[in-house]
Amino acid sequence: MRRAIRIQNLGGATAVILHRPHPTVQALERQLRAIGLQVSEAWPELGPVALAADFVFFDADTGHDEQFPWAPGQSPMPMVALIGSEAPGRIEWALRAGAHAQLLKPVGDNGAYSALLIARDAFDAQRALTVEISDLRRRLDERQTVVRAVTLLAARGARDDAAAYAQLRQMAMAWRVSFEDAAARVVAMLTAAPEEARDDRG
Amino acid sequence: MTGKRPIELGLLYSRSGGYSLLAEACRSGAAAAIAQVNADPSIDLAFLPVERDPGGDLDRYAPLCEDLLRNTGTRHILGCVTSSSRKEVIPVLEKLGGTLWYALPYEGFEASDHVVYTHACPNQHLLPLLDWALPAHGARAYLTGSNYIWGWEMNRLARERITATGGEVVGERCLPLGSTEVGRILEEIKATRPAFILNNLVGPSSYEFLARMHRLAATDPDFAPSRRPILSCNLTEAELPAIGPAAEGLVSAGPYFRGAAAGGFGSSPEAAAHAAVMELARLLNGRPGAEALALPALLDRVPGPGMIDRTTHHTALPVMIARVEGGIFRPVKTLPALPGDPYLARDRTPVAAPQLRVVS
Repeated sequence: MRRAIRIQNLGGATAVILHRPHPTVQALERQLRAIGLQVSEAWPELGPVALAADFVFFDADTGHDEQFPWAPGQSPMPMVALIGSEAPGRIEWALRAGAHAQLLKPVGDNGAYSALLIARDAFDAQRALTVEISDLRRRLDERQTVVRAVTLLAARGARDDAAAYAQLRQMAMAWRVSFEDAAARVVAMLTAAPEEARDDRG
Repeated sequence: MTGKRPIELGLLYSRSGGYSLLAEACRSGAAAAIAQVNADPSIDLAFLPVERDPGGDLDRYAPLCEDLLRNTGTRHILGCVTSSSRKEVIPVLEKLGGTLWYALPYEGFEASDHVVYTHACPNQHLLPLLDWALPAHGARAYLTGSNYIWGWEMNRLARERITATGGEVVGERCLPLGSTEVGRILEEIKATRPAFILNNLVGPSSYEFLARMHRLAATDPDFAPSRRPILSCNLTEAELPAIGPAAEGLVSAGPYFRGAAAGGFGSSPEAAAHAAVMELARLLNGRPGAEALALPALLDRVPGPGMIDRTTHHTALPVMIARVEGGIFRPVKTLPALPGDPYLARDRTPVAAPQLRVVS
């Protein structure tokens, strides 16, 4: 799946930098302001205000899970790890914390822009996949409902399973709901009023 | 000093703060080497030490390193005790073209073009120590350390090694640097009775932990160091005075222990700092102007093998595992010199012994 990356809309975006006061923070702030972001600093933890930020930059060298007001890997915005020590333990932690991109320390005159775009793209892709996976999972869970609906419709007068399936699809379109939701409605209707259904058939 | 080229040599050690004993060991090793070089008529240079003292404050290392490189003639600096401070000065060295000579054990995963590492990294301390301890004392380990890169990475690597060889980590707890709140660690050790304890605490945290373990062993012989030893990779003679009688029975891994090898040094950091100055003198001797070269160019200028690996800037070091007996480290195992392997690229984890169980 190839998507165009979102290049605009960085102007006015907000970023929070979670790092102890340090020249690296000043250098990063300068870059981010030049790009057009509004920047604030937080240390030793992200306050609730951070929940509204568009980006979070966090220190991977001394960071720990309790600094974030969300569960590890569940940030509601793209996150960029600021890495000084390229030690495997720290990289592992930064990944688990939910880094979407990284920037090596010391931060100098560049690097922030590509980190912002890469982080946002990775965040968008991850979110799209999460939505798609939960939708697919729901549909998988409802396979049984579809089978039941098709069986019920076939028993109620459709010529065969294929015709019952087509009938269900038409109902979904008419009701403007998903195939699975239509199946759930059919199952609810036909099992809630079994006599009626039997009468119809007879 | 007539006829000798004067060369300024930076010293960036904290003479106060939690790890000042290690800093003092490095300073005395450097001072001895400087005196030796300056008195040697066959060496055409004399080192003039230029000192800066960050006072144990992490945020003062980078500005003082910059001060040395900008405002004095210094190109080479001996300094830093903690890895955090080393990582603070590396960007300055990169910017201004200086070289740091680092003389303490560290956690590996670094090979800066601007640093020479003259003490051990994990393939030269932690891994041989675990490979000795696991069969000798058992595979149930408790890990503790100070809350910064040294403690975290050493514990992570230890856990990886212990579990890969079929062992078990029964507990792990880190303390903030300088904290002496070791009560919970002791409770956990009492509750889990590990076969050994890996102590990656530094300074006052370590001293307090060792004192409390010593008192525990006095009341409950099951926690005697002979039964459940405490292992470290950063314990040297430099800190024995601060630990006192609680040092008895502690086990440490390092490239050198006093009296156990030639040299007459008081501790391995002292030996490593001495070796750094002597090697720098060898590289610069008879090469006027070479002190201004960046490290890779300097190494290229001098033919033949030296002590510094040109790829990693680490050094080959022997591995000694020693136990404190009567206030002195007595070697229990010695391995021949191993090249430093900071990324453990040449390491092969021993295969886990098959765990046989009676199937009922």
